[in-house]
Amino acid sequence: MAIKVGVGVSVDGDPLQAAREAARGAKLNLATGKIDLAVVFSSIEYAHSTVLKTISSMLGVENIVGCSGLGIITGEGIFKRGLAVMLIDLPADIYLNTACVRSVNPTSSTYAGKELGEKLSYGFKNIRRHLSVIFSDGLIEDGSGLLHGLQEKFGRSFPIAGASASDNLAFKRTYQYFGTETLSDSACGILWGGKLNFGLGIHHGWKPLGKPRQVTKSSANTVYEIDAAPAADMYKEYFASDIPKLRKELKRISIFYPIGIYLPGEEEYLLRNLSSIEDNGALVFQGDVPKNSRIRLMIGTKESCLSATSRALEEVKQGLGDKQCDFAFVFDSVSRYILLGRQVNEELRIIKEKLGKKTPFIGLYTYGEQAPLESIGYHGVAHFHNQTIAVLGVGG
Amino acid sequence: MLGASGSLAVGLLIVLLAYKMERIRRLQSAIDKLEKSLDEMDEQAKLIVRTDMELNKTQEELDKKINSLNALQRLSRAISTTLEESQIFNKIDAAALSDLGFEKACGFLWSDQEKNFLPQINIGYMQEEMRTVLLALELDKNKFLELMSSDKTASSISRLIDPAFKDKISKDFLAKTFILSPISPKEGNNGFIFAGTDDPEMLINEGDEELFTILAHQISRAIDNARLYEKTWRAHQDLEIKVEERTRELTQALNDVRAASKRKTAFLSSVSHELRTPLTSIKGYASILLAGKLGELPPEAKDRMEKLNRHTDELVHLVNDLLDIARIESGKMAMKKEAVDLKSAAEKVADLLSVQIKQNNLDFSFSAADDAHSVLADRGQLERVLINLIGNAIKFTPQKGKISISTQKSDNMIQVDVADSGCGIPEEAQEEIFEEFYRVDNPINQEVRGTGLGLSLVKHIIEAHGGKIWVKSRLGAGSTFSFTLPKPA
Repeated sequence: MAIKVGVGVSVDGDPLQAAREAARGAKLNLATGKIDLAVVFSSIEYAHSTVLKTISSMLGVENIVGCSGLGIITGEGIFKRGLAVMLIDLPADIYLNTACVRSVNPTSSTYAGKELGEKLSYGFKNIRRHLSVIFSDGLIEDGSGLLHGLQEKFGRSFPIAGASASDNLAFKRTYQYFGTETLSDSACGILWGGKLNFGLGIHHGWKPLGKPRQVTKSSANTVYEIDAAPAADMYKEYFASDIPKLRKELKRISIFYPIGIYLPGEEEYLLRNLSSIEDNGALVFQGDVPKNSRIRLMIGTKESCLSATSRALEEVKQGLGDKQCDFAFVFDSVSRYILLGRQVNEELRIIKEKLGKKTPFIGLYTYGEQAPLESIGYHGVAHFHNQTIAVLGVGG
Repeated sequence: MLGASGSLAVGLLIVLLAYKMERIRRLQSAIDKLEKSLDEMDEQAKLIVRTDMELNKTQEELDKKINSLNALQRLSRAISTTLEESQIFNKIDAAALSDLGFEKACGFLWSDQEKNFLPQINIGYMQEEMRTVLLALELDKNKFLELMSSDKTASSISRLIDPAFKDKISKDFLAKTFILSPISPKEGNNGFIFAGTDDPEMLINEGDEELFTILAHQISRAIDNARLYEKTWRAHQDLEIKVEERTRELTQALNDVRAASKRKTAFLSSVSHELRTPLTSIKGYASILLAGKLGELPPEAKDRMEKLNRHTDELVHLVNDLLDIARIESGKMAMKKEAVDLKSAAEKVADLLSVQIKQNNLDFSFSAADDAHSVLADRGQLERVLINLIGNAIKFTPQKGKISISTQKSDNMIQVDVADSGCGIPEEAQEEIFEEFYRVDNPINQEVRGTGLGLSLVKHIIEAHGGKIWVKSRLGAGSTFSFTLPKPA
């Protein structure tokens, strides 16, 4: 029996009205009585617990997970302000559990990841675990830590896909949804088990440029030295600029010229967005950069971004093999949204074309994405990414 | 001491060392070259990155400008074709706003009645946020009114407004970067439109201000047009209402006239009937007296009696005509329609009037077109028409004049023209001669007696047949009376 899914979308200016409209639409499209899970993505304007309470009471569903984003991606369009609800009705041989951890601060993000893993595993004693989907606060400084914690619980190569919640580029507060609670500095997730099929695809399309360099001093997401010189020197040299000028161009540099970490055996570099430049010349990135990492400056174009979208979706198909894709999640980096500009609609066209007209999906723009680089064959190790599009296709 | 073999070994080691050192030197040289190449490649990469950065910036600027211009063009087209004031602001949509570089917008028109700003559009503000904006407008309405009266675009980069107020707008309208442009229609309420964004990357310049000012002007002109259209439409509506009222009044007046006419006809009919009975008696007694059945009358009495008899005849004639008119008007006179040959009818009438024709030496002629020989009419009534028209022609045509009757086909009717070379009818009288008791003021009419009912009766008879009658005449150049009657099937 296939998984049944219904999606509802609203852009109504009144959050409560939007909640009603989206819930009604999702229920109408689901057309069955049973709801095992509701996934909610929205822009921050709709991040109110009353919105979740409305959805919960209207649909009689308690299992609600999701998060906020710069915008939502739906089959109806990309909306900078909007609310999307996906309702999932699972057959008896597929299981899921949802869980949440609060107060994930940088010093304990690994611990929080581990705790989330433990909570998610509850009730999965004799059931084969297949996949975990997590939604975390995109402003957690060490996004990789959370993932490492989860991997400690589930195993290094356990498939994990996830989205780091974003806001309206103010980088002030992002929201995670769990039940009828609207949280921040938290992470919630879903653990799937049973007879589940899925395909995961992740690509960014950025290309290496310039000579390889080595991180000689770093701690978590802060790089102090590259090639034994202050880390900022690398950007100073490339852009013939000093730190104040670099800071002025930080957003552009972060989007167009991230650094790529070379991972032995992986086809693509792991990208890290530059989030700030310290006075002492240290560079702070949106994900961890281990000491001794071989790094390159990366360069991206709209064309390469769109081609990465196609490749990610092809990988989803390959992952599912001959199995049907019943629904999909799209986690797309806010950087790509900015880089693509008006061509975001071209990306949406590719997503719809590759997933097929009948496959329901919802997505959002994120501050980070979690997925294995080499996802085909379940062997990849999940990483915390920047600048990527991660697509998860699930079938019964 | 080393033996020979030892020396050889040392020698070999030296050679090997030298070889190794040479290899190391070569490898080092290759590494140096590789490093140099990498450095050179890196230098090129730096150039590429810098150029790419510049290109990206230029591209962004260009994209922004093209997007803005496209959006402005789209909006202008949509706004300028809107004639409903309430719909003008609604033409601004989130997509166009985003292309202009903003994510939120609101527009207001000042209401003199309510002494407040009334919202016209809201894009990107949640309900709660809009309440904050409205509250700010309420508190600072005078400053905003002042800004509107200056008719100049203000923005987060302009120096037109004082920095404190600028900061306040930014805070109240929840937008770090904004442009605010007055909407100034020529008449009626004015207002302003605001667009803003919190995107720190969105930097506006004078060009953006200019584009936004153009948009505000477009809105102002569209409001002008809509208001003018509304005004015209209202005037049109008023006019239609007035026309309806007048039509109603006229219809009422017409009905009154018809009722009066009906009453008149009934009155005429009854009076005529009442008159005819005593007239018949008078005529009868006069005839008896004239015939001398009651004894011969003295010559003076006979002369007076003959006059009495003649006047009685005229009175009977008048009463009969009046009765006929009344009958036709009330629809009581049935027309026995049949195909009547026009020539024979005309000749019969001419025969009746031959004495007068001869007396006046008139040239009487009749000609009928091939397809206009006969009409569908009541024979007696047609002869009556011809008697009246030919009789009039004889009366007003001087000696040796001409009277001609001709016929022709006109659409589905037959037209009969009775033309004379008489004195003609003044233009101002041509319409009225068909009215009852109307007589043209000329010397002949002063001499010759008449009732003034002949042409009126003719008109009634023709119209009762579904035809029309009219006259063409010029003073001194004769008259042509034309009438139409249906042609036989």
